[in-house]
Amino acid sequence: MVIASIIFLFGALLPQFLKSEKNIRLSSVWIAVLGGLAVFNLSFPVLFFAEPAWSDSWWMIDSFSALMASLIAFVYMASMFVSYRYIGYEYRENILNVSQVKTYFSLISLFALSMLAVVFFNNTILVWLALESTTLFSTFLVGLYKKRTSVEAAWKYIILCSTGITLGFAGVLLANYAGHLLGDESNFSSMTFLTDNAGSLDPNILRWAFVFIFVGFGTKIGLVPMHTWLPDAHSKAPSPISALFSGVLLNVALYVVIRFKHIVDGSLGQPDWTNRFFLIFGLMSIVLPALAMLIQNNYKRALAYSSIEHMGLISLAVALSPLGLVAAFIHMIGHTFTKSALFFGAGEFLLKWKTTKIEKVKGAMKYAPYSSALFLLGVLAIIAVPPSVLFASEFILFSRMFFAHWPLAVFVLVMLSLVAFAMLRLSLMLVFGSEDGKKMKVEKWNITHTVMAVELAFVFSAPFFLTSPAGLAFVESLVKTVSY
Amino acid sequence: MQISNLLIQFLFIVAAAPFAAGLVRFIKARFQGRKGASPFLAYVSLATLFKKEMVFPKASSWVFRVVPFVVLASSLCFAFLVPTIFHSGNLIFTSDFLVVAGVLMFGSIFLVLGGLDSGSAFGGMGASREMTIAALLEPTMIMVFAAFGLLSHSFTIDGMMVSGLISANPFLILSIVALVLLALGENARYPVDNPATHLELTMVHEAMILEYSGPFLAMLEYASAIKLTVFSFLICNFIFPGTLLDPAVGISGIAAGIILGIIKVIAVMALLALLESVIVKMRFYRINEFVSISFFVAFFGMAAAVLAKSMDFISNYYTFFVALTILFTVLIFGNLRTRPVLRYYIFSSLSIAGIAASLGFSEIQDAAHLFFFAAVTILVKVFGVPFLIKGMLKKYDKTNQAKTFLRPASSYLLAAIILVVAFFVTIRIPLVGGIAWVSILFASIALILMGTMKMVIMRNICSQIIGLLVLENGLALFTLVTVKTLPVVVELGIFAVTLISVFVLSKLSTHIRELYGSTDTEELRNLID
Repeated sequence: MVIASIIFLFGALLPQFLKSEKNIRLSSVWIAVLGGLAVFNLSFPVLFFAEPAWSDSWWMIDSFSALMASLIAFVYMASMFVSYRYIGYEYRENILNVSQVKTYFSLISLFALSMLAVVFFNNTILVWLALESTTLFSTFLVGLYKKRTSVEAAWKYIILCSTGITLGFAGVLLANYAGHLLGDESNFSSMTFLTDNAGSLDPNILRWAFVFIFVGFGTKIGLVPMHTWLPDAHSKAPSPISALFSGVLLNVALYVVIRFKHIVDGSLGQPDWTNRFFLIFGLMSIVLPALAMLIQNNYKRALAYSSIEHMGLISLAVALSPLGLVAAFIHMIGHTFTKSALFFGAGEFLLKWKTTKIEKVKGAMKYAPYSSALFLLGVLAIIAVPPSVLFASEFILFSRMFFAHWPLAVFVLVMLSLVAFAMLRLSLMLVFGSEDGKKMKVEKWNITHTVMAVELAFVFSAPFFLTSPAGLAFVESLVKTVSY
Repeated sequence: MQISNLLIQFLFIVAAAPFAAGLVRFIKARFQGRKGASPFLAYVSLATLFKKEMVFPKASSWVFRVVPFVVLASSLCFAFLVPTIFHSGNLIFTSDFLVVAGVLMFGSIFLVLGGLDSGSAFGGMGASREMTIAALLEPTMIMVFAAFGLLSHSFTIDGMMVSGLISANPFLILSIVALVLLALGENARYPVDNPATHLELTMVHEAMILEYSGPFLAMLEYASAIKLTVFSFLICNFIFPGTLLDPAVGISGIAAGIILGIIKVIAVMALLALLESVIVKMRFYRINEFVSISFFVAFFGMAAAVLAKSMDFISNYYTFFVALTILFTVLIFGNLRTRPVLRYYIFSSLSIAGIAASLGFSEIQDAAHLFFFAAVTILVKVFGVPFLIKGMLKKYDKTNQAKTFLRPASSYLLAAIILVVAFFVTIRIPLVGGIAWVSILFASIALILMGTMKMVIMRNICSQIIGLLVLENGLALFTLVTVKTLPVVVELGIFAVTLISVFVLSKLSTHIRELYGSTDTEELRNLID
């Protein structure tokens, strides 16, 4: 754990001491690979049950946090590879200068480190601290281009998320207070202590705590109506950052809320009370983006709204816990891979056409055949066309949901088909947009395409493992760590 | 023994007075970067004045000649009545506060008469100003001593001091503050009068004694030096009643008392010089503001004393600081200009540190931790955060007035509503049974609500940052109330996050100003669809 943190901190420091932009990029990628492997080394043994979960008063690894850490490390490495090309390209086009490149690579590794800290910390207040620092470190990544729009997006992002997370802190403190009342002076703020003693915590205090935590950290998850920062920040940040945001940051915030849900459920003795929150906010988070996506003409914004919608779906799945949690976990994994691939693809379009408006991207299929094809594949995966992982998870979700609330299930299905229609329409317009006769260079296969291809290959092959009996058993054992 | 010791105390004041006046001038000079004349120069200049010849205005009458004697006599009498080094023992009845106020007033009336009698325009002007100020300051004096008198059941200043009220009754700090303001006004110091200039537009005390020369001038200056010295002892002894010695002590006691007296003189004069170096004199027409502030502070001290007397209302220091925190936050809430808001933020953070520190004094367990919390709070929120925000403000000073959706009057109304809501939330939530310090819980809820609401109603970037900081302050209080002890590393982490977020916010707002040319959040409307 210490080694991994040192690698990430080194990765944050090194760019400040290098002169040439090429060296900064190269060294950052290598350090990122090193850091990612160090994290894998920590998380894989626990994730695949080679080693037992362990915790002390500061750190904690169980299979859930190991899963999150692996996702973070993977998307981090992937987006570093893409950054290598993306940032280099923008530097050559004089969009960025050396000091901005330095800032970018320093902050991105601090950002990844603080996300990892969220999942590995055991002390709940430190978890809060780490979550708050993800916001602080990523603000300047959103506002990297000193343009009006990106600074505005960064401002909205930091103000909304800071306020939300600060309110969430009230909830964390209340939960700690409930632990404090049990009389343990030293451990009361540790996650494992609260989880183990959930049954004897005061349920009234925990109810208040959960309201604050849900609304506060829900801002960071991007649940409607606290989502307003999300489309702006995702569309204005550089594409590798958008991929990190959408792929892991939202999940990390969700991870914290699910952990606390587990504690509160234990205290209340049943999961229904907390499920209601997830159900209502999840539904809202599906309906609003479904409508918003119909009127989008900006492909990065559309992807951002799709992220809100998927967070809504995951929340719905969590709301059907204990059983729905299986769907939620599979969906989380699938969404991480698919959405990051899509943002990488969107970055390619942005680099080539310098616009995020769909109608201004002309002749994508002709001049950027690989990006277009992979993007289309990604869109098919995200709207859950089988055999995508998301199909598997949504299938499980709806099979549960028809049991629990069938009218709702029908309604959500209608909304999802709206989303699917909007996504397909937008991406077809993007890829097969009319040409205006201006000649451009036809793109070559590059590192971004490799990354996307790897991710999509996983997305389309994983369901064969995850839906097999062994795979389901694997997921269920993950779910056990946080299900009541 | 007793009488002789009281005489020694009187002689000490009389002897030390010129030194005190010289010391203020000396320290002020040092603060201004000058070398300054020796503090003992005052004795020499008084002696020189005594040797000089006197000149009388033609228009003056016998009153002009009587005035210096009466004024000096009133100052000497004042020095004799007020307990400075020893308390008066069985002569306690002499320092009845009405007698003391009367003696002081007697002196100032004659000073005014002397100014009028000289027949010059300046004398009359100074006299009229002096009378205005003296009349306005009178109620403050009554209020201050009434608050002390009510709690100590004593009309004598001696009795008030001896009963040592200040440690048990935190709200008396208000009365002390009022007393300090009163002393500044009575002794013609900053910000009411400038003792160092003879500028016709501003002078008050100097205008009245303008026509005096030679020994009479020396007597008047001596009288004012004595008055200043006695006032400094008065304030010191109210704050630290323990330093008053019993009059029936022997030689060693006298020596200790004199050493203590010298320390008090030096400390108070240094503080006075510091104060006079950092503030400016007010315009004469703004002095009514100064006086009304002193009156209201004294009034609130009195009101709190009455409440405490009748229903045991405020009896802890932390409750007092909670009240201050809420007061300053309400001021932040309603104020539109950035700089005062920042100042109130500093004050409210100081009050939070005060809450922690006073809890530390009253709670034996965790005391070290609470002091640590107070110290870091001061370091981060009184110095760190304001420093960063000031740095941000420096570049663009034009946009000081924040735009808002609510006028100040309605914001204060909203703040009042929030306080009421916070009260009901506090009594409703199920925590109250377990939490010992309900008033702090109330403050934290009020601060959280006000911080959030400030961010909603203000359209200015700075105000949003301040709103976030207020919210954060509320949570700091909430931490105190709920978990009390956090590991030191965690606590430092929280403070570090506060600092970093202010840094990020201020940097970002600089970018916004550069790109948009304004700090109005209504301008941030490029991204809507």
